[in-house]
Amino acid sequence: MTAVQAALSGALIGGLYALMAAGLSVTWGALRVINLAHFGLILVGAYLTYQLTTAWGIDPVLTLLVSAPVLFVAGAALQWAYDRLNIVEFNSLLVSFGLLMITIELTTQVWTADFRHIDAGENPYGTSAVHLGSIALPISRLVALGFAVLLIGGGHLVLERTFAGRGLRAFAQDRTVAASFGIDHRRLGMVVGGLAGVSAAVAGMVFALGNTIAPAHAYEWFGTVFAVVILGGIGNLLGSLFAGLGVGAFSAVVAVLWDPSYEPFVLFLAIILALVLRPKGLFTRRAAA
Amino acid sequence: MSVRKGLSILAGVALVLAVLAHFNTSLGIAPYLLVLATSVLFWVIQATSWNILSGYAGYFSFGQAAYVGVGAYSVAVLTGRHDVGYPVSILVGGLLGALLAAVTGAVAFRLGALRGEIFALLTLAVPFILAAFVRINRDIDGGLGTTLPLPDFPGWVGDFQHLIFLLMLLVATLAVGTALWVQGSRLGRGLNAIHDNEDAAEALGVPTFRYKMLAIVLSGALGGLGGALLAVRNGAVQPELVFTLTVPLFVIVMSVLGGRRHWAGPVVGAAFVTVLQDELAAQELDQWGNIILGAVLVLFVVAAPDGLFGRLRVRPWLTVGVFVPVLVGLLLSGQYTELDAILYAMVAAIVAALVVDRLRPAPGAVSSPAGHLEPSAAPTEGARPTEPPATRPAGAAPLADLPQPAPPPVPPVAQSPPGELVSVAGVTRDFGGVRALDDVSLSVSSGEIVGLVGPNGSGKTTLVNLLSGAMPPTRGTIAIGGRTTTGLAPHRVAHTGVARTYQIPKPFASMTVRDNVAMAVMFGRTGASLASAREAAVRHLATVRLEHLADALPDALNLHQRQLLEMARAIAAEPVVLLLDEALAGLNPAEIDDAVAVIRRIHAAGISIIIVEHLLRVLNQLATRIVVLDRGVLIADGEPATVLRDPAVVRAYLGRQRA
Repeated sequence: MTAVQAALSGALIGGLYALMAAGLSVTWGALRVINLAHFGLILVGAYLTYQLTTAWGIDPVLTLLVSAPVLFVAGAALQWAYDRLNIVEFNSLLVSFGLLMITIELTTQVWTADFRHIDAGENPYGTSAVHLGSIALPISRLVALGFAVLLIGGGHLVLERTFAGRGLRAFAQDRTVAASFGIDHRRLGMVVGGLAGVSAAVAGMVFALGNTIAPAHAYEWFGTVFAVVILGGIGNLLGSLFAGLGVGAFSAVVAVLWDPSYEPFVLFLAIILALVLRPKGLFTRRAAA
Repeated sequence: MSVRKGLSILAGVALVLAVLAHFNTSLGIAPYLLVLATSVLFWVIQATSWNILSGYAGYFSFGQAAYVGVGAYSVAVLTGRHDVGYPVSILVGGLLGALLAAVTGAVAFRLGALRGEIFALLTLAVPFILAAFVRINRDIDGGLGTTLPLPDFPGWVGDFQHLIFLLMLLVATLAVGTALWVQGSRLGRGLNAIHDNEDAAEALGVPTFRYKMLAIVLSGALGGLGGALLAVRNGAVQPELVFTLTVPLFVIVMSVLGGRRHWAGPVVGAAFVTVLQDELAAQELDQWGNIILGAVLVLFVVAAPDGLFGRLRVRPWLTVGVFVPVLVGLLLSGQYTELDAILYAMVAAIVAALVVDRLRPAPGAVSSPAGHLEPSAAPTEGARPTEPPATRPAGAAPLADLPQPAPPPVPPVAQSPPGELVSVAGVTRDFGGVRALDDVSLSVSSGEIVGLVGPNGSGKTTLVNLLSGAMPPTRGTIAIGGRTTTGLAPHRVAHTGVARTYQIPKPFASMTVRDNVAMAVMFGRTGASLASAREAAVRHLATVRLEHLADALPDALNLHQRQLLEMARAIAAEPVVLLLDEALAGLNPAEIDDAVAVIRRIHAAGISIIIVEHLLRVLNQLATRIVVLDRGVLIADGEPATVLRDPAVVRAYLGRQRA
């Protein structure tokens, strides 16, 4: 029973991982920018939720009304700059690493390195849980999963069904050809960057609901979130949702059945195995060569 | 500068530094400068260690902290907990660093897809895993940290500060010497080629996996030694102080700032960044340190990817000439501390070098070792990529009456036994569920020019990739000159005498045309030193009539010239069989005639050729035999005239309704 409880609540944390991974995965897959600064945006999102909830006493979810537009602009501006300076792939790793450092230091200056958390009085999601028989599911994690399904499912539908989505996929496959068919990659790229920013705002808000916030968290997310991106298949939104749930459940079960200290090892062993066996991600459709 | 000369200068500098440090009190050098210099040396070690893999080969690592941590904890555990002597524990630190690097490399470099990105992310994860392990495991740390005893050392050394300075100096000299030696060696040239284009490097005979492993192990050993010395210097080790992201941030900024392609880049960068950090700490601005470093990183990647050293070494005397007087002037004025004076003098020298460089740009001085670009040919050609080469006016005579002033002979090829040269037996290749080649058998004898034709997607390029070893067949065997090559790494296949060109040329962008070809000579079947390879390269360039562009960079070449460069590079490996993958695609008629003439010259020198081509008119005259593939199946093989009239071939090309 403990394993089932662990797997379920782990899968719910996985919703948070998936939210964090989705934005990263899309910019990497579609725009060829590996944006480490995305972790900085998530951090800022979390702090904005904390700050606004504490200052105005509003429901944490409502803070998205402010943080989502702010981070949309930030994400779009980042993408605009990357595009203008022609920064892709390797250079994007270096540049965004520099930007991440700056963001983390600036958040440290504003909110200090201390742990912050939303007061229980302002956070209706903080401590309550839904009980299914003997299994307790914390509300904050259910919210995470809900947003993940909503956002990623929506994003997936947009990519699959709309003209802009097709344009984006065409652009990911061959920039020059896509451009010659009238796809304005600059504008499309900025919209995608902005939406990645929105996903960061949601991920940050969800994180703030159930956790304490400190600038150093941005580093701790690295390993798991990149694992989710790679396992899900780079640029594959639904893949990152499933991979997020799977990784969450898997590491929670390992932590319960063996020892929490094995968690990172087992996780990374799994990733390496997956990369060897299915280098393009676990959830990619087999592509014709 | 030769490697030997460089190493002697390095040893000389190290000796002078050692003497200066030893007599620092009598020379009036403040003790805190010794402390600062020790810090600089630590970062020189780490930045150089990072650069040997990440700078030379272009595989960015975010995991430098792992080596620092492993080195530091070797000392912490062995000496701090088990009273093992420092010399042993420091060496173990280096060994474990090398071991960790070997494991990381063996995993990361085996992963086929997305090599560079996966490597970067994997290295990002390694320090976190190690830190978690160290925190939890009570036999190593358990989260409390470990303190270290003061080492014993002979009295002549001076005090502890002198000792640690000397040790850091020793390892830093070792690190910089290694980087210097690697840069001048075959290893360094190979890493450089990997940086520019790994597939092409492997196809030319560079053992890319082995070279990357060598580079990462050297990097890990040096990083581990440096980390061990850090533990000795600090006298205490804590997980959060060694496994921190500040380490990769620092080494990346230092190398990017200094310059990644030269051993001196990280040294310059380490000196500047460490002094800057110290100055910020002195001004109590250290909380801004990482912000400034992050900004410097962004700025340099965007604006000056060559780094400072790329600029500085164009004008070394100017740099020294500004640095020394400013430093002496500031010190004599008595208004500045030594630290301020050093920092300001550095900034003045950098600004001077950058400004003068901007005013009088030295063409190609950074990337072209020869330093003398032909002023007219290269840039203008590049600007008009569709025009035919200057040597052949458009619409010139077809190849029969080419003015051929005694084409320079291609060097003789090692004689292979007559008869079957290439043998493809029952080869099948699947991609997922798609069968790209289905039970293809084919034999090529020496002296032939075999045209490989077929509609798009018929498996021509797949066959070329199988022949060159870029991918293994799903079933069947391939033999070159009687030797089975199935399952060999591409560079081993290259050494059996197979060379190839790519449909989309893949030149080494940072090397001149001459060095591009010289790489193939160096890593070809015979192997040669760089100097003799450069000489041979010019001969091969003459075969394709590209010798006038020997000092240009590939960027300055038009498509036709790049294709010719591909061919020159391929024949420079002295192959017995040359695979040309659509070498005529995208060329205008005059260029095609030119290229055909080159192919005939190569063939006349005794190299057999397999050419993938869509232009049947050209193949009709050029090929001695034509092989036709359709949807992965070999449907015809024989005389050009016969094959091209074959109803099955016509059907495959023109569609069923015409048959």
